[in-house]
Amino acid sequence: MSFLGESFGTAFALLLALDSEVLTTVWTSLWVSLGAILISTVAAVPLGGLIALHGFRGKRLVLTLLNTLMALPTVVVGLLIYGLISRQGPLGEFGLLFTPWAMMIGQVVLAVPIVAHYTVAALSGADPRILPTARTLGAGPVRSMLQLLLEVRFGIVAAVVAGFGRVIAEVGVAMMLGGNIRGYTRTMTTAIALETSKGEFAFGLALGLVLMVVALLVNLFLNLLQQR
Amino acid sequence: MSPLYELNNIEHRRGNQVVLQIDHLELQRGRFYALTGANGAGKSTLLQLLALLERPTSGELRVNGHLVPQQDRHLCSLRRGITLVHQSSFLFSGTVAANLVFGLKLRGLTRRDRERRTLWALQTVGLDDFAERRVNQLSGGEIQRVALARALALNPRVLLLDEPTAGLDGYGAPAFERLLVSLRDQGVSMVIASHDPTFVQRLCAEEIHLVGGRILGHPCSFSETHRLTTAGSSLCLNPLKMQER
Repeated sequence: MSFLGESFGTAFALLLALDSEVLTTVWTSLWVSLGAILISTVAAVPLGGLIALHGFRGKRLVLTLLNTLMALPTVVVGLLIYGLISRQGPLGEFGLLFTPWAMMIGQVVLAVPIVAHYTVAALSGADPRILPTARTLGAGPVRSMLQLLLEVRFGIVAAVVAGFGRVIAEVGVAMMLGGNIRGYTRTMTTAIALETSKGEFAFGLALGLVLMVVALLVNLFLNLLQQR
Repeated sequence: MSPLYELNNIEHRRGNQVVLQIDHLELQRGRFYALTGANGAGKSTLLQLLALLERPTSGELRVNGHLVPQQDRHLCSLRRGITLVHQSSFLFSGTVAANLVFGLKLRGLTRRDRERRTLWALQTVGLDDFAERRVNQLSGGEIQRVALARALALNPRVLLLDEPTAGLDGYGAPAFERLLVSLRDQGVSMVIASHDPTFVQRLCAEEIHLVGGRILGHPCSFSETHRLTTAGSSLCLNPLKMQER
């Protein structure tokens, strides 16, 4: 117990002292994951809308594929993208490997199926009268679609939050594509894994606490939206 | 002058089932039509077609003499003169005022005009103090009246109502009927689906009777329909319709 207590004490001290390494790691995690979720939302919400609102041959297959992609192991995504952006890969000339951008690409691949899947679920459960009502009041296709998204906004926000939860907490992609370079591509999760293996339990714990605070803030934000 | 609506050889299917089949129908401007018929006769489907919310599977639909365009963005401007109030209306989440303002904003009205029209429309349906009320606090009847106010606020040239009296609790049919008569006198074209034959009779609407997705006879006044039915004539109605009545 004293080990845990001391570790918590050290972790809080690191956070309160605004330790620069902790801050850099937290900042890298946040901007990479927020960027990834922003790109994923822009891509996956319209994709989910297309799938949910249109009947087409093979729709069931597409939904099954989305479900499968949601459970993709992060190391497999890391491996595949590594093959694409490593020096010998087809995109090797861009020099993306072991940069934050590589991590962001990997996280987008992880988040898109999740956001798209939950968007499909939210739109499929939407009241079927929303679109005809908007149209008969004079809204065009874009405004009608926007109104539909507004009506199911809690579902869409939940989709984005689920996607963010996946990317902020993943280790495989960040480790394989970012390389865990100190002060550059080291994220909270890769730092926790590394520091704990080095015996720096308190440092890992400090980052773990920040991760939990981030999760709490995201959920508070969601609650706030739902109360509006 | 071309009719408001002209339908030729219209067939509308849901899956493999033909839900509406109309050889020819013309609806004139400024007139008051009542769609009658049993459940599943095709009244709501016909209203959806007239509101340009659905396209017929085949056939020709003309509005003001022009063929209805295929692309949604071209339909938008045409739809702005036509408003449909559904039998079970949907209100967007938020306040009553936000619902009424939705269509007014799309038409580019100023804030002052939007407020004025919202107030007028709510007064017209007897919900004067409801502007700031949230829609999840409304009863079924109040929802229906807000939906009606939302349609009236847009000042449509064509008003389509699907069973409008079904949820008018407390407000009363007489006030609503007076409103419809006043709109008709202002030149608003109206098509109302109703189960209630006395409602159609009181408003002297021209009746379009549907059976199994087909129109029996041609539009005629209720009194004419009634007279012809009792006299056993088939000038306006065919024998099938008389049997049903």
